[in-house]
Amino acid sequence: MWPAPLLLLAAGLFDTDVMPIFRAKCISCHSAKTRSGGLALETAEDALRGGKSGGAIVAGKPSDSLLLSMVAAGKMPMGGARLSEPEITAIRTWIEQEDRKSPIGERDVTAILGAKCWVCHGRREKMGGLDLRTHESMVRGGKSGPAVVAGKPDESLLVKRIAAQEMPPPKLQEQYSVRGLTDDELAKVRQWIADGAKPDFEKPLEVTVASDPAIRAKDREFWAFRTPVRPDVPAGVNAVDALSGKLAPAANDLTLMRRAYFDLTGLPPKPEEVSSFERDGDPKRYEKLLDRLLASRRYGERWAQHWLDAVGYSDSEGGNSGDQNRPHAWRYRDYVIRAFHSNKPYDKFLTEQLAGDELFDYGSVKRLTPEQLEVLAATGFWRTAPDATYSTEQNFIPERMDVIAGQLEVLGSAVMGLSVGCARCHDHKYDPIPTRDYYRLVSVLTPAFDPYHWLPPVYPCGGVGAKCDEKSTRYVLPRATAEWEEATAFNTPIELRVKELQEQIEEKARPYREKKGNKDAKLADLAAEFEAFKKEKTGLDEQIQKERTKLKALPLVRALFDLGPEPPPTRILLRGDATTPGALVGPGAPSILSAPSRDYRVEPLAHSSGRRLALAKWMIHPEHPLTARVMVNRIWQHHFGTGIVSTAGNFGRMGAAPMNQKLLDWLAVEFVRSGWDVKAMHRLIMTSAVYRQQSGANGFPLRRIDAECIRDAILQIAGRLEEKPFGPADKFKAQPDGEVVTESLRRSVFVSHRRTQPLSLLETFDQPFMNPNCVRRGTSVVSSQALHLMNSDLTRENARYMAGRIVDAVGDDATAQIERAYLLAFARRPSVDETKAALGALERMNAEWEKPLEKERPAEPVRSRAKWLALSTLCHALINSAEFLYID
Amino acid sequence: MPTRRDFFSRMSDGLMGTALASLFAQNLHANDGLYDLTPKKPHHAPRAKAVIQLFMNGGPSQVDLFDHKPALTKYAGQAPSRDLAAEVRAVRETGGLMPSPYKFARYGQSGIELSEMLPHLAKVADEISVVKSMYTTHLAHEAALFLMHGGRILPTRPSLGAWVTFGLGSENQNLPAYVVLDDPKGPPINFIQNWQAGWLPAVYQGTRVRSEGSPILNLQAKQEYPSGIVDLSRSLLHRMDTAHRDRHPGNAELEARIANYELAARMQMEATDALDIEKESAATKLAYGLNDERTASYGKRCLMARRLVERGVRLVQVYIEQQIWDNHNKIRAGLEYACGKTDRPAAALVRDLKERGLLDSTLVVWGGEFGRLPIAQDPGPNAGRDHGPSGFSIWMAGGGIKGGTTYGATDEIGYRAAENRVSVHDFHATVLHLLGMDHRKLVFEREGRNERITDEFPARVLGEIIS
Repeated sequence: MWPAPLLLLAAGLFDTDVMPIFRAKCISCHSAKTRSGGLALETAEDALRGGKSGGAIVAGKPSDSLLLSMVAAGKMPMGGARLSEPEITAIRTWIEQEDRKSPIGERDVTAILGAKCWVCHGRREKMGGLDLRTHESMVRGGKSGPAVVAGKPDESLLVKRIAAQEMPPPKLQEQYSVRGLTDDELAKVRQWIADGAKPDFEKPLEVTVASDPAIRAKDREFWAFRTPVRPDVPAGVNAVDALSGKLAPAANDLTLMRRAYFDLTGLPPKPEEVSSFERDGDPKRYEKLLDRLLASRRYGERWAQHWLDAVGYSDSEGGNSGDQNRPHAWRYRDYVIRAFHSNKPYDKFLTEQLAGDELFDYGSVKRLTPEQLEVLAATGFWRTAPDATYSTEQNFIPERMDVIAGQLEVLGSAVMGLSVGCARCHDHKYDPIPTRDYYRLVSVLTPAFDPYHWLPPVYPCGGVGAKCDEKSTRYVLPRATAEWEEATAFNTPIELRVKELQEQIEEKARPYREKKGNKDAKLADLAAEFEAFKKEKTGLDEQIQKERTKLKALPLVRALFDLGPEPPPTRILLRGDATTPGALVGPGAPSILSAPSRDYRVEPLAHSSGRRLALAKWMIHPEHPLTARVMVNRIWQHHFGTGIVSTAGNFGRMGAAPMNQKLLDWLAVEFVRSGWDVKAMHRLIMTSAVYRQQSGANGFPLRRIDAECIRDAILQIAGRLEEKPFGPADKFKAQPDGEVVTESLRRSVFVSHRRTQPLSLLETFDQPFMNPNCVRRGTSVVSSQALHLMNSDLTRENARYMAGRIVDAVGDDATAQIERAYLLAFARRPSVDETKAALGALERMNAEWEKPLEKERPAEPVRSRAKWLALSTLCHALINSAEFLYID
Repeated sequence: MPTRRDFFSRMSDGLMGTALASLFAQNLHANDGLYDLTPKKPHHAPRAKAVIQLFMNGGPSQVDLFDHKPALTKYAGQAPSRDLAAEVRAVRETGGLMPSPYKFARYGQSGIELSEMLPHLAKVADEISVVKSMYTTHLAHEAALFLMHGGRILPTRPSLGAWVTFGLGSENQNLPAYVVLDDPKGPPINFIQNWQAGWLPAVYQGTRVRSEGSPILNLQAKQEYPSGIVDLSRSLLHRMDTAHRDRHPGNAELEARIANYELAARMQMEATDALDIEKESAATKLAYGLNDERTASYGKRCLMARRLVERGVRLVQVYIEQQIWDNHNKIRAGLEYACGKTDRPAAALVRDLKERGLLDSTLVVWGGEFGRLPIAQDPGPNAGRDHGPSGFSIWMAGGGIKGGTTYGATDEIGYRAAENRVSVHDFHATVLHLLGMDHRKLVFEREGRNERITDEFPARVLGEIIS
């Protein structure tokens, strides 16, 4: 309790002189209920505690008090008349005489206890029967009695145990990534108890879209925040053409064919496909080609890559140089490929990713079907951000909040077309996204991303990082599936054998422990001390290692799901700092993108909070101003190199204005009307005259194929591309010179994408570093690209394969070889001049290769070897050429 | 149409495209946002033209090397304060306060106090300035390295080297502007992220140069074609590419590609020469310790750094084998190894630069991402020290630094920077200042924000140690 005289004195001045002013001028926005900016001004404590910008006043220091400077400058009351001089003087006098420190509230204490105690005394565990989450539960206490005795810190068990450094238990601190309390933190806990351990009776900020003081009416008028309206287009004309300007002449058919192949499948056409397309006399042969390509598996693989870029897919955790692998991430990758291949409607695609786990009560399903597993794997969308929390040193509240921030950045830039990250620390400077709305989004995720009960990325995790048991894993363990049963049946004998070997080590250790006189001596210490034991242990360790490599990976689904009822409260964190909690918020979506008729609204589910499902429903509402625009813009971008809005991840004020808003809006409205049909969008765009223009400064933009296309195309023209889809990512290896290569011959989307070890070829050609995601790739022109294509084994080897397959296909005739090489690399036949030049080059190369071979006298015939090598060098030049690397 | 700015933002890795960018500057007439490596005018008269950063990744123990704390002997074995205890990483292994086993003495005319573990540095004591009050804000290597390099504890930001080359360009267009010499025995934590350009154009990214084998990936083929074939295929490619370019008039990117292939050949020569330490005298090699197995590897890289700076390279970072300063246990053996490997070459570099008249224009910086705690980790004969972010030491020399000075101090036990505290942002501002740049003015516009290496953090230039 406050010491009575002090309370009276200060309250007196506030009550008599200041409260009337606040009531008259401020309370309409700053009542305990309205709390604009998180600030209430009903009591002196309210002012001391402040809002989102920190304390409104600093006791005794008028010059440091934000409230005073705002009213003195006339910035407050917002939109109202400036306070009179006597009023300002009254406030200044009150602040000068006020000598209470900013009170320690329950929120300050729970910020400390949350980070340091809740992992064992919170939402999922109540060790010793103790729950330290609320005032009430602290007073109730656990088996040892109440944790808190109001007004008596020294009698409060909470203080006693912490002060004695018994809690948090030093032995567990590392494992659970908590630290002891600092002097300052302990002092705060004491102070709060001494002051009566008063609860905060705080309600989450209420946000009403219809009258949201944080957003001006003018803000809502910005084009990107208004629902798109379909512009009128004459009937019978492709709308893309109707809404576009002057065009360059149409590209020739083969150019267009190659363009369509790369755009839809990421691969060049094969010579046979070129020939049959040429032979097809149907005037609709181009449309037929599009249908074939859209139906191809290669289409799903290609367009999945674009989406995987946007969400920041990676096969490693990142955030830390350990860059732990994500061995199960591929299920999400496969989900995305299947979704594109099957043309899953985009609204359904989004819903499954945002809230697949909330679509059905997966916990009560006895035997999950493959389709149900897919829907759970879709939530891997929320598991893409760099995540260092597998390291005990980087698994504290701030790092956990970083992971959530990474996911929100992905959601913002890939799905919403807005950068929400700025609002983590301050109200967005350019877009009307208040900090409040960032934390409302955090609150949408909190039932699943609980910063106080964090699920480690690794399973099983061997005791590292947070809680580490089946109850605390971020994987869904689909026990009752054929895949699981098969894997466990296979693994059981191996695991038994491993256990046996481990027991043998213990057995061997016993005499040494006796010798040392310490029966708990660590194995590593024994090995360091006794050479003989080290030898025995190493031998057995190797056997264990060998056994373990035989283990089949369990079909774990890397997912996001609610961790049960009672999600922790979400508070605005002042300046993004978890140690300075501000106002309480509930789940919600950015007000600027909402409207009263389609506001974010949670319908609680029996098995889950429903917060993410509500987000998905809000997101896919047909009138949502951005969801459809962002996706059609992405589709456009991957057809033309640049989106209609060139800043694909930012449609806000700092983003680029749309180059053709009517076109964007027409496409967006059409997209929704078509039932969010992605393939229909491709057809619409690709059959337009705009897409069919020839390339050039005022036509179709010439552009380089991207990193994965380069590798995949090289493998295809070398006749080596393996078409096997899906499954765990193929391994890479780092060579001694630092080059990262893979033996895999599958498409690049199936090769492990490790953040810190990208394949050198892909990295050189601008494969993005996922941190957290990439909504638009850059295209650099760097000398390392020339060096790589000229000098790497990869290109040289594949050029030899290419030459070999050409000879297999057409025999020894050089002219036919050259034609085939051109068809493979450029999807066209060479001109007469080109053939002539290539023939000359081949002949001279042939002569140059014969010289060393004459000396070397290899086993195979010199002539034919020289010819093959000459053709290889020609193929190598084609792989280096601009025509191969660019889409015309 | 891509704008000219788009075009240059996409140019090059600091090897060749740089020369290219200047080549095209004449053809594309606009004058905004030219992202290349041509020399740029600094904000004010620079004291240093180049920087060699001897990065001591792992966190060297300040109380055993630079920061003499006799009080530790007095308090030996005592339990740490609650605040210190709350900052310990490996709680279970925590011991009491642990004095340094090494003797300290004063060296040079200036009388700088150094530990006996740095006998060679002691001989150039009058050239260096030791900052004893550095602090950082995270106790994990990753985060602390991100802060030290990019100014925030998060990845994705440009490194100091990228900022410097963005601000100043390079004096040599045929070599990378920003060179990273990592240790063949293992890269630092965060690896390539330590020298990334982040959202600065890729042209400012550090180029990793190996001190053994092919210095740059694929600089040469593993097995080169016969020379006649090399010529023939080059000219065939050139013919095809020029014909392709002619079919796409005015496309600068295609032009750049062609030039890249020509320039790649020139680079093979220049880079090979710059890194050829066999051209150095026997005396120089001896001074860097190339004759001694312990110092040979690090000495070689220090010598390469000098050769590169001599040729106009703007910033060279020399990293050290993995985590050899990360002495969680057996700190005596660990420091013996780390100092044995680096002390002599680092001191030789300072002296060599001085003798060649390069020290005045070359800033040498020695330091890691944090220091170590004054308490024992895993107490006993194998004791070490855990990460200590709250107070640590670095030294700087040349390039306008006042030699023979120390700055700042930690508390009585060497735990927390107490006097004249120096943040990582202060350090960045100081390096930029010596190079003639104001950290507030070196900005890159990104998504409507003016980004700076010091971000919105307060930062001050350490005027007290500038001559």
